[in-house]
Amino acid sequence: MIVKVNNLVKRYNELLALDHFNLEVKKGEIFGLLGPNGSGKSTSINCILSLLKYDKGEIQVFGKPMSPDAYDIKKDIGVVMQEVAVFEELTVYENINYFCGLYIEDKDRRKALVEEAIEFVALKDFRKFYPKKLSGGLLRRLNIACGIAHKPKLIILDEPTVAVDPQSRNNILTGIKKLNEQGATVIYTTHYMEEAEQLCDRIAIIDKGKTVALGTKEELKGMIKIGEKITVEVFNLVPEALEELRKLPTVDKAEYRENILVVRSKKGKDSLVKILEFMNSHDIKFGKMYSELPTLNDVFLEITGKELRD
Amino acid sequence: MFGHIFFTRIKCLVRDKQLIFWSLIFPIILATLFKLTFANISNGEVFKPIDIAVVSNQFYENDHGFRETMKHVSEDGHGKLFNMVKADEVKADELLKNNKISGYIYLNPEVNLVVKSSGLNQSIIKTFLDNYKESKNNILSITKANPSAGIEGILKDLHVNREYTYEVAPSGGAPNTSLSYFYSLIALACLYGGFLGLKEITDIQADLSKRAARVNMAPVHKMKMFAYGILAALLIQFAEILILLGYLSFVLRVDFGNQLPYILLLSFVGGAAGISIGTMISACIRKGEGIKIGILITVSLISCSLAGMYYAGTKYIIEKKAPFLAYINPATLITDGLYTLYYYNTYERYFLNVAILTVLSIIFCLITYLIIRRQKYASL
Ligand SMILES: Nc1ncnc2c1ncn2[C@@H]1O[C@H](COP(=O)(O)OP(=O)(O)OP(=O)(O)O)[C@@H](O)[C@H]1O
Ligand SMILES: [Mg+2]
Repeated sequence: MIVKVNNLVKRYNELLALDHFNLEVKKGEIFGLLGPNGSGKSTSINCILSLLKYDKGEIQVFGKPMSPDAYDIKKDIGVVMQEVAVFEELTVYENINYFCGLYIEDKDRRKALVEEAIEFVALKDFRKFYPKKLSGGLLRRLNIACGIAHKPKLIILDEPTVAVDPQSRNNILTGIKKLNEQGATVIYTTHYMEEAEQLCDRIAIIDKGKTVALGTKEELKGMIKIGEKITVEVFNLVPEALEELRKLPTVDKAEYRENILVVRSKKGKDSLVKILEFMNSHDIKFGKMYSELPTLNDVFLEITGKELRD
Repeated sequence: MFGHIFFTRIKCLVRDKQLIFWSLIFPIILATLFKLTFANISNGEVFKPIDIAVVSNQFYENDHGFRETMKHVSEDGHGKLFNMVKADEVKADELLKNNKISGYIYLNPEVNLVVKSSGLNQSIIKTFLDNYKESKNNILSITKANPSAGIEGILKDLHVNREYTYEVAPSGGAPNTSLSYFYSLIALACLYGGFLGLKEITDIQADLSKRAARVNMAPVHKMKMFAYGILAALLIQFAEILILLGYLSFVLRVDFGNQLPYILLLSFVGGAAGISIGTMISACIRKGEGIKIGILITVSLISCSLAGMYYAGTKYIIEKKAPFLAYINPATLITDGLYTLYYYNTYERYFLNVAILTVLSIIFCLITYLIIRRQKYASL
């Protein structure tokens, strides 16, 4: 077990930010912490890193208790904080080099690592730039480079892709996959379910400081009652037809609003064909039709009764 | 590791424009303004002897030494400092009320000065009297400790007075007064080293900045980070003081006497005190950076005005009324150290000042370390 968190409780004055939070991250996996704003992702990360005091609970990293002066643990961790954490007075290169140098004393090796990190986040053309001159997205990439240059065994990234354009985001995600393939264990927090689905081997969905669901994305989707979601553009659906549709055996819910029909299938049932048949037999005209498998948002919705993102 | 951290800290410090402004540019600007002010005084008009009165009571008549001194500085000639009239107390009061004199002196038997307002003339009289008292006390203590040294002591006394009047009168800018302004300016520059201390702490305390949170994650002991950072701050601060001193003596032609190594040592420990105060403010006060800078500036200005930056007499009043404060006020210690170097031939008091400043710096740093050592934070 790379990280093990047991019954972690953290309060900010009255506010209960982590409520008996548990976590187990296995060696070699990319572990996702998925939760809405304010659910406690950053708080849990900062507790794991021994930056924050907490009220209760145990935290182990690499099988040893984590503490602020556990330098033998710290040397193998790389952190990318949620907020950009770099020195305004240092250039891109100097920033990466400084942080890397706090881990790697050997100059030649460090130089190679810094170059690799610059390559990794594609900041080659900006190495002499000061952070102030970088756009938000580039700054984020610098932030990432500073955290991973020293090739840590455990990489913790707290929403590293906020405000990054889709292309760089994809680059970053593939980059993280690559680091993982090279042997790093990754903890990745995000409130983008797409990212979590795309990247993570296992995902913990957290809300109000608690893990509400845990598993692979397939397992998570398997936990909920609903299945496929079918959206159809329909122009002349009479209420009687809608009622009839709702009675189809595979259909869980059906809503019709502003020429859009949304049908939720029951779990594991395939209703697409049934609906097509229904439309044809009732002579209902329809335009576009598409089907989506349930997302993690649906999982979150079903468990907590609210959307992952507003 | 030392070099890596140390040199990076140096880069961070010298590239911080706000920091360089406060710790280097601002004192230089202030020095230039001081110089311009004093230059106007001395170039604008020929020095006119100051009108004063002396209350001719029995103490005055009996104090031969003082009478002689007053006579000496009221004689027509090159060294004339005062236009002195003798008067009884009522008359002197009236003269003062009608602005006929800048102040009057009466003895009881201590030498006292009565003034109505503060200004250059008043501070010249005051500085003159302070100087007189100081020399007199010196003689007294010398003769007490070593009766046979009496003659020598008195010679020295005369010498001091002569030199004093000679210096004051022709320039009219009262070098004592203007020097003390420059001294307190140097003290201010030392204390503004606090900006460097502030920054060092902000950059290693995880709850003060995000970059510090990242630094905290590195496998480097907090004490090391702190010590290396402080060393870098010391170096930069010392370099800044050197630049200021160079500017003062080569560009503004302020004469500090010929005690360079001692002045440098004092500036160094003064700067250390400033830096450590900055670290302590940063560590103790859990508020935003703007507020901390505000507090730092306020503390420095108060400290320096107590040491006489705005009104030279303040230093004297504090020494008299609250001697303890004078002993722990870093700005007073710095100005006093410089003052002693300029006016005395012994280093006892100078080294006492240096020692107290060193001890204060160590105490402030220890307090800081005790606070920042606590390594987990309640909130980030
Ligand atoms: N320093 C603090 N003082 C008081 N409350 C805080 C502090 N930091 C966080 N909180 C509160 O603790 C809860 C958890 O915050 P946290 O930052 O861990 O959430 P998060 O999941 O990282 O959210 P986000 O996606 O917005 O980053 C929130 O309700 C937040 O308001
Ligand atoms: Mg967060």
